[in-house]
Formats: sequence, C-alpha cells, structure tokens
Amino acid sequence: MGFEFKGSQSASQLESFSYDDAIVRKFFWATLIWGIVAFLVGVILAVQLAFPQANIIPQVAFGRLRPLHTNAAIFAFAGNAIFTAVYYSTQRLCKARMWSDTLSKLHFWGWQLIIVSAAITLPLGITQSKEYAELEWPIDIAIAVVWVGFFGTNFMMTLVKRRERHMYVALWFYIASLVAVTILHVFNNLWVPVGLVQFLQTGEFGSAETIMKSYPLYAGVQDAFMQWWYGHNAVAFFLTTPFLGLMYYFLPKAANRPVFSYKLSIIHFWSLVFIYIWAGPHHLHYTALPQWASTLGMVFSLMLWMPSWGGMINGLLTLRGAWHKVATDPVLKFFVVGITFYGMSTFEGPLLSVKTVNALSHYTDWTIAHVHSGTLGWNSFMTFGMLYWLAPRLFQTGKLHSEKLASLHFWTGTIGILLYVISIYTAGITQGLMWRAFDESGQLMYPEFIETVTRLIPFYWIRAVGGTLFLLSACLGGYNLVMTWKARPKKYEVPVHEAPALSKEYDDGPPAVSRLTSNAGIGHAGDRFLQGHWHRRWERLPVRFTVWVVIAVGVASLFEIIPTFLIRSNETTISTVLPYTPLEVAGRDIYIAEGCYNCHSQMIRPIYSETQRYGEYTKPGETVYDRPFQWGSRRIGPDLAREGVTNPNSAWHYQHFENPQVFTEGSIMPSYKHLLKGELDFGAIQPRIRALAMVGTPYGEAVKSAEPMARSQAKRIADDIRTQMPGVELPEDLENRKVIALIAYIQRLGTDIQATPEQIELRKSEGAGQ
Amino acid sequence: MRLTDIMSHMALSVWAEIAMVIFQIVFVLVVARVLFAPRAMVERIASLPLEDDGDFSLFEEVE
Repeated sequence: MGFEFKGSQSASQLESFSYDDAIVRKFFWATLIWGIVAFLVGVILAVQLAFPQANIIPQVAFGRLRPLHTNAAIFAFAGNAIFTAVYYSTQRLCKARMWSDTLSKLHFWGWQLIIVSAAITLPLGITQSKEYAELEWPIDIAIAVVWVGFFGTNFMMTLVKRRERHMYVALWFYIASLVAVTILHVFNNLWVPVGLVQFLQTGEFGSAETIMKSYPLYAGVQDAFMQWWYGHNAVAFFLTTPFLGLMYYFLPKAANRPVFSYKLSIIHFWSLVFIYIWAGPHHLHYTALPQWASTLGMVFSLMLWMPSWGGMINGLLTLRGAWHKVATDPVLKFFVVGITFYGMSTFEGPLLSVKTVNALSHYTDWTIAHVHSGTLGWNSFMTFGMLYWLAPRLFQTGKLHSEKLASLHFWTGTIGILLYVISIYTAGITQGLMWRAFDESGQLMYPEFIETVTRLIPFYWIRAVGGTLFLLSACLGGYNLVMTWKARPKKYEVPVHEAPALSKEYDDGPPAVSRLTSNAGIGHAGDRFLQGHWHRRWERLPVRFTVWVVIAVGVASLFEIIPTFLIRSNETTISTVLPYTPLEVAGRDIYIAEGCYNCHSQMIRPIYSETQRYGEYTKPGETVYDRPFQWGSRRIGPDLAREGVTNPNSAWHYQHFENPQVFTEGSIMPSYKHLLKGELDFGAIQPRIRALAMVGTPYGEAVKSAEPMARSQAKRIADDIRTQMPGVELPEDLENRKVIALIAYIQRLGTDIQATPEQIELRKSEGAGQ
Repeated sequence: MRLTDIMSHMALSVWAEIAMVIFQIVFVLVVARVLFAPRAMVERIASLPLEDDGDFSLFEEVE
C-alpha cells in the first residue's frame, strides 16, 4: 500500500520510492555533537568574563573564542538542525527521495568541513570581524558552493521532482531561507583577497596570513549598513524561518493534529518574509547611519510583532485539545516552551528596536540576554524536541530510551536558560543605567568605566552556572539519544512507498469567473483576482514561487541599500581625515585578529552621557577608510573611538597590553603580552596597502614603499616608549614587535577631526594617503 | 546629472513611505488570497504532514 491518490493528480502509474534517512541520521548526530561543543565554548567564555585569569592561551582568549561560539551555535548546531529537519520533512512532504544522494553527502561533509575550518581559523585570528560573518574569503566561497551548489540544487530539484502537487507551508519557509541566506551571504562578503592582489601584481603568493586576508569592498557607513542588513537577516532567515518550517511540520506530527490555521500560516509567511528584511538598521540607532534608514528599520521592526505573534499563536493553538499530552510528552514540552520563547524573543526584538529603548539597551548585556533567550529557548528547544521525536523513528526503536531522562533534560535546560537570561537581563539594564547616571551636580555618577564592570561580576557568575546547567542538560539529552540509538535493529528497514508521478499537464480547473453583476470591467477583473487562482498556481510551481520570494526579499533590500550607497551626505568628507598609515593598517589587523571588537565599540553616539564619558560623537566621515568598520556592538570594555585623543601615551598602552590590571584594578581584560613578544611581519604590509588602494583608499607613495614607512613610524613609537619608561629594560628590537603596530593604531583613533597641520604632515610622511 | 546627484536631492522620508505602501499592497493581496481560499483545499493541505509517512507494510532491507 502506498500513498493515496489525491484530488486532481495524474492517474498515471504508481511509482515506488524510499526516503533517504541515512542522511537525516548524519545531520542528526552532527547537530547533537556541535551543539554540545557550542554550549561548552559558551560556558568557557562565561567563566572567562567572570574570571579573566582563565584567558590563559592567546588562541582561546575571549576575543578569539567568542566568534567561535557564535559560529558554532548558529552554523554548526542550528545549521545541522535545520538540515536534519529539511532532509526529513522535505522528502515526506514531496513524497520523493532527495534528488541526489551524492549531493546530500557532499552537502553534509562540505558543511562539516566548513565548521572545522572555522574552528581552526578563528582561534588563529583569521577573521573578517563582521559578526556572524567572520570567516575569511576561501571559507566564504566554500559556504556558497555547499549552500547553493549542493544543498540548494538538491532541495530545489527535489521540489521539482515531487509527487505531491501542493507545497506545504514548511517548504515555503525552507525556500525563503535558501534564497535569502544566499543573497545575504553573497552581498555581505564582497571582498578583495590580499594574496590575490599580491599574486597579480608581483607573481608571488605571499605568506599564509596574507593569502587568507581580505578587505571588504564597502567601508565605514556602507560596511556597517551591509553588515547589519546581513546580521539581522541571518537571525531572520537562518534562526527563524527554517525553524518555523520545522515548527509547522514537526509540531502537527507530535500533536497528531493539523496546524491550527493554515490560512494564518500563509499570512505569517508572506508578512514575515516581506517585513523582516527591512529591519536591519535598528542595530545602528544613533550611530553615523542616516536617520531615515534608522527610522525605517525601527518601524518595520515594530510591524514584525504582528506576523511573529501570529506564528506563535498558530503554533500554540495547534495543541488545542492536546494540552493534556504536554504534561507527559517530553517532545511537546520542548516545543511548547520553544514556541513560547519565540513569542517572547519576537516581542522583545521590536521593543529593543524602539530608539529610546535602544539608547539604553545597545552595547549592554541586555542584547546578549535577548539573543540567548532566542537561541537557547527557541532554537535549541525546538531542535531538542525534534531530535526526541525523530530518534525512535530514525533508529526504528519505537520508543525513546528514557522519557524520564528527556523530562529531566527539559527541566534542567529550562532552569539553565532562566538563570542565564534573568541574570544577564539584570546585568544589561544595570550597565545601561549606570552609564547614563548623573549626580546632582550634573556630572557622570560613575565616571570610571570599571565601576560598571565590577558591578556585573556576580551576574556573570550566575550566567556561568546557568550555562553549565544548560550544557549538562544537553549532555543528558546526548546520553539518552545515544542509548536510544544503541537499541537500533541490526539493519535499518527501508520502507517502500508508492505514489503517482505528477503529470506535466495539470488542470487548474475552469478559469475564475466574475461573480459580480455590474458592467464595470475592472470590477470583474478585481473579483477574478480576489478568487486567488493565481496564487494557487504559484503554490504548486516551486521555481515561480521562489522568484516571488526573491522579489520580496530583493525589493526591501534595494530600497534600503541603493540610497545608502548613492547619497553623498552619507559619505561626508572631512579634509583632515586621512587613510591609516601602513603601520596603523598592520595594527588594525592585529586589533581585528585579537577580536578586540568583541568587547570595545568605536562609535560614540550623540547622547549626552556618551559625549561626557568618551568625547565628541562619531561623524560618518571619520570612518570612510575603515575596511571593515569597527563600530562594534558591545561594551564589555569602554568605547575606543576617541582613545587616541584621551589616552595618547605610548608607554601606558605598552604596559596596559602587558597587564591591564596594573592601571585598572578589577579590569577583566586579558593580558596581551604575547603581542609584546611576537614579531611583526613587515613584509606583509605592502600587499595589504596595495589591496586597500585597489578598493579605493587614496594611498600615494605608500603603494610602493609601505614597508620602510611602517618601519620609520615603528621606530618613532618605540623611541617614544623608551623615553617614557626610563630605567625599564625593554627589548632591543622593540620597534619590530606587534604591540608597536597596535599602539600606532590605537593612538590614531578619533584624532583626525582635530588634527593639526603638523600632525597631518607627519601622517602623510608615514604613508597616510596622498 | 548623475544618479548620485538625483538621490542626494531626494526627500528621503519618501522612501519609508513608499516602503509602507508596498508592504500594505502585498499584505492586502495575501489576506485576500487567504480569505478566498477554498476551505476543502486548505484542510487537505493542512493535513499533509499527518499523512506523509504512509504505512510501513512494504519493508525492504537495503542497508
């Protein structure tokens, strides 16, 4: 017995087929393993913040490890969970095996290889420094090949070759994810590889570090805009839409009843796809981004409330009449709490996009709590619910090893999440309020930034405990799933199904006929349109449907991107702002490699408490040579946009990098003494300047003689340190150490708008532009 | 006159308004489609996840 012949499908001969569950099992295990890795790295990071002495090895210090955690959580854990859901549900919803087993395997192994590449390169400091897009250009290309070439082709061809006429709404969400992530990934990763420039110009390949390095085509405001257009929509189309597809498929299965309202799911889908893409600029409120873009992002973020809550309500009401099962079924427990967290996160997201709320929340731990309620509560719990539902079916055991253990996993995980988010919400709001507090005389109540750091340490410890509980709960889940797998049969049985192929000729039924009696032609046309035959055609035509999704995503993107790139006022030029000198470029790349942007912003907002604390607010024209931009998104440490103005002392920075606690008692910044020992590769500077010149930075003489210019500036700074630290034994070749380049960069920050003619001349002589 | 010049002299608030109008048109179209969708068809589609496993009477040992 196969699938029942339905409706107007062709009466052609039944075809036999089986599903490829072997690939689902592979992604299943990858999800579990990478999930535990991501949670473990998260716990290490939490401890490093509360106890900075835990930053022992430079390669796994907080700045380098944090991107590894986010990438592991998003692309390794959530990514493999998405693929598990897609490969299982797509085959069944299409009544077809995946189009190509070879592409399925290439997709699986290619994706795991990308994850391993990330795990190697990020601790080595090979990064683009764009959040959730840190991976360097060779890995970016691999992602595009695996995502579009292997996964995309296989998925779309399965849709084309399907045996079920209608595409269920879960498939729509998968299509949107596939299309949008492709667009986002490609346009946020347009770069010039330094090694390629060097090879084309000199015929030499350069060092491994040079080969891996790239600079983005965008700079400053445009780079920030593109990054957060990407960053926000990575959350939308990687952590939301595919998980909604998962919800719309696996929740009805687990509850054994259809989704509450299929009509609502259609509204949910189109509204979400159309609105989400506009909302990115809310990550850049009160920054140097144009106000119109910021407001546009806020308004569309607020509108997201409607479809998001429509989806949540649709999910929860699917359990109507089945709530009694939630008390006993661990799968439903995970789903119910997961969907509830979806509702809370999607309520909080628009709230945080309101400018006045954002003025308080931005750069604080509030954002961290928000993203963790989403990833731990929504993504992780939906994933674990799915894994528990799948395990007995994929391993053909008929039941889980232990439902009690699954419930214990659920409760431990829930308590872990609550400890995490409540403590970090408290920390974030405390932090934001302390930054903006004034005393009776109108002075900052907490002028020393460290006061706002030490106040948070107890919350950081509670977060570490919550994270550890969540990690332990995942390990319990892992044990339960492994024990379930151990009870598998010696050989998996592969059910054979039957269904008729879709006929090429499809009768849409008679064309819509107007039901109106008036003689107005437009009225008849309107009535025919409203009967929706046209949309029903789209819903069974995957390619046409995909084109409309591309249009929905593309229109919104272009409306925001084109003005940002074309309007001159976005790139107000400031005559005293010059490109970075070759040594400063080298220092900037060290700043990026060490992940300093994970703790320090470089964007002073035009808010009184900020200008009082850090100095003059940041102008768009100050960052026109920033490739990539370094505005940051978080202030674990103070903003550095005017560090060169407020703290120009070379010796101070030298000693501070060696031991931050010497100057700031209670500082949680790790020591960077390895930079005091490491030698700077002066030979790698020239190709970097050439690459920057290629993307439009107006370098003059430095295009040919960057290295001697860098050496000259390094000697000046090293001599400066020797003069400021008399009697202290310093390395003889101090000017060759990495820390000198980093100091050069830090000393430059924020100084351009007040640069004197003498400073400008000195900078030009050291290679800063024409 | 270049495109950059035209864009630089545009009233920027109009972009947000156009965006809102586009969204509203799309939203109305989607709601209209949903309201007029045949009930039987919608119920049939909504039940797809519940019927997709078929039965397991035809087993074939492959692996």
